[in-house]
Formats: sequence, structure tokens, C-alpha cells
Amino acid sequence: MVPVLKYGDTLVATIVAALSDEDLEQLRAEVIDKVGRFRARGVIIDVTALDVLDSFATRTIRGIASTAQLRGADTVVVGIQPDVAVAMVQLGLTLDDIETALDMEDGMALLEARRRSRRVG
Amino acid sequence: MQTVRQSNEQTLMRELGLSSQNIERRKRFVAFGPEDVARVVALKPVVVEHVDELVQTFFQHLASLDEAKALTSNHEVADRARTMKREHLLAMTSGTYDATYVEQRLKLGVLYARAGLDTRVVMGAFQAIIRGVGDRVMRDGTRDAFERFSSFEKLAYFDIVILLDVLVYERERTIRQQSEAIRELSTPVLQVRDRMLLLPLIGVIDTHRAQLVTDGLLRAIRANRARVVVMDVTGVATIDSKVANHLLQTVSAARLMGAYVIVTGLSSDVAQSLVALGIEVSRFNTVGDLQGGIEEAEKLLGYELVQHVSDRKARVT
Repeated sequence: MVPVLKYGDTLVATIVAALSDEDLEQLRAEVIDKVGRFRARGVIIDVTALDVLDSFATRTIRGIASTAQLRGADTVVVGIQPDVAVAMVQLGLTLDDIETALDMEDGMALLEARRRSRRVG
Repeated sequence: MQTVRQSNEQTLMRELGLSSQNIERRKRFVAFGPEDVARVVALKPVVVEHVDELVQTFFQHLASLDEAKALTSNHEVADRARTMKREHLLAMTSGTYDATYVEQRLKLGVLYARAGLDTRVVMGAFQAIIRGVGDRVMRDGTRDAFERFSSFEKLAYFDIVILLDVLVYERERTIRQQSEAIRELSTPVLQVRDRMLLLPLIGVIDTHRAQLVTDGLLRAIRANRARVVVMDVTGVATIDSKVANHLLQTVSAARLMGAYVIVTGLSSDVAQSLVALGIEVSRFNTVGDLQGGIEEAEKLLGYELVQHVSDRKARVT
């Protein structure tokens, strides 16, 4: 189970332990549902605690990002560990179309910057 | 002091893998069995009687060699070596060849290594001492003198192998320390501004070093909370496709951690060869030189560089 918390107009999902494929599916459904319900403009997925990100998890995260995008929210993945990053790159799992940030703080700042640049004029 | 030295030898025993099991195994290598123990112990009177002459033989042999000057010219070290050699010879006929015995041999080995004695020199001097013992035993003309002597020789071989292990290990220690130092020197990651890192790459980059660079950089990104990294390859003469791919991976991995990598200083040769190799160069964010790279990074981080003209005049003069 992954708690999806609302913080202003941002949703925060902190993954604290390795997730099964069903858990990931459930996370996807919950995030997408809440984006609409809370009218969120940003989603942060925190993977600091994970020591591995496999292809299914990567694909799910990418799926969440593009679906959220269609519903008007930007997604940032934060807290990828050095070893995880190396492993992902070696497996060819990149998140080229998704924003990444070092930690929660940077992720929040990134979303804030995004929001400001969208403003007209 | 004594306790410190004691634990030093014990560490060395561990590092060389000299467990009691291993010691037994080593005895098997030279076929040193219980009957050999009995025969060597039977030599005790001869060795005790001539111990001082035998030690003398050993050091006379060393004294005749220039390569052993470091040991023979330093009186303090030479005296210690002499005492230990004497103890060694007496211990050889004591009948117990356990971990403590091996530890004493290590001590002597470390002493030789510190004195800079070469394996060849030690072997030669050791041979002289074995020969000395052989002489006395044969001259005694006792029954089964030859068997006794060859048992003694087995033990001598057992000892010298330990001695050689120590000498080689000590010599390699220097190599290990140096390569460690070089490795650390070769991959510095420097913080230039808050949240900006500079990674200057110089010299030849092979796969092994590229891996260290990746490792060091990702760790530094985390530790310094970096958002922009300037990777300067001005000092790199050639990049082959393997290394280029590794650098690309580094860039991707850094991005996954939320850091943006700017590559600067690709020489025309390197740039041409990267294109010729068909590397996806578009995935590198490149800026011509280091200055441009740092300026670009500053812009990304929201820095603005202002030059005060009047100030500058005042400071330069």
C-alpha cells in the first residue's frame, strides 16, 4: 500500500518498500483518481527508499506520468539512489520524458517553477 | 608498543589467510609429517651446539652482498635480525610448529621486508644456513643422518615459503597503496557554486576509470545536492565508443537523480571520432569550452554575473 497524500495542489506518493505488480497497478489507479478529485496540478513520486526499480515499475511510473499529464498534472520522480540510477541506465530503463529531482524539496521547487512558467504574461 | 606489534602480526596472518587449517595444509605441501617432527627434534643437540656459528653463516653471506646493505649496515636492525634468526633456529628443533611458530616467522619476514631485502637475497642466505646445518649433521655421522637432514630441509622449505609470502605481500602493499592513491587523484569532483559541480576529466579514460567516474559523480551529486554538473573533457585526447557510451550512461544516470550534465571541451578530433562512431551525440548537452559551460550552468541555476567597472579598475591597479 502506498499512501497518496494531498499537499496544496500537489499529490505526494511515497513508496516505502518494494511493490508487487498489483500494488503498482493500484497506485496508478489511485493517483489518477485523486488527480481529478483534488484538481491536482502536480504529482510527486518519491522512490528514496527503493533499492531497485525494475522495468514494470518504470513503465508504470511512465504510465502514471502521461495519464496525469492528460488530466492536467505534471509528474516528478524524486529520490532515485545512485546505485538504482546506474542499474536502470544499464538496463536501458530511462525516464527521458519525465522530470526527475534529487529529493522532495527539489521536486516541489521544480513543480512550482513549472507552474510559474505556464502563467501568461 | 608490544601489544600493538602483536596485533600487527595477527592482522598479517589473517590477510595472508594463515589459519591453523592453512598451516596444516602448508605442511602437507612439503610432506612434513609426525615422523619428520621426531627426526628434526633429534637434531636439537647439534643445532643448539652450533647455533651461533649458523647465525654467523647467515649474516656473513648477507654481508658479502651489496643488495643486503640496508639490513647489515643498520646495527639496530641487524642485531634484531640476528636475535630473531637465533630464536628461529632454536625454534625449528623445538617440535611445535603451530600458529605461534608461524607468527614468529612472519615477524622476521616483516623485518626483512622493511629493510628492503630482496627475495633472491633472502633465498641465498637461507640456503647457506641449510647447508651449514647439513654439514654439521653429516659430519656427526649418526645413523639416518640423511633422513634427519631431509626432514629438517622440509621444515626449512615450510618456513621460507612463509617468508616469501610476507616479502611479496609487503612489496605488493606499496603497489596497492599507490594505485589507490592514483585512483582517488584521477576522479576529483569539485563544487564550483552552490549546487553546481565540476568534473574535470584528464588523461586516458578506460572502462574501469569511466566506472569510477560515474560512481564518484553520482555520490557527489547526492552529497552536494547538485543540480547542474559541468563535465570537462578538454584533457581527454581520445574517447572510444565504449567510453563514450559509458559517459552517456553517466549523463542519463545523473539525470535520473535530477541533475543536468553539461559536457564541455570536446576537441575537434574527439568530436569527429564520436560522430564517425555513430554515437548518439545529441544526448550530450555540449558547450564549446569550460568557461561557456560554467556560464551556461550559472544561467540554469539562476545566477547572474555582474562586473562592476569602477571596482575592477580600483582592484587591478
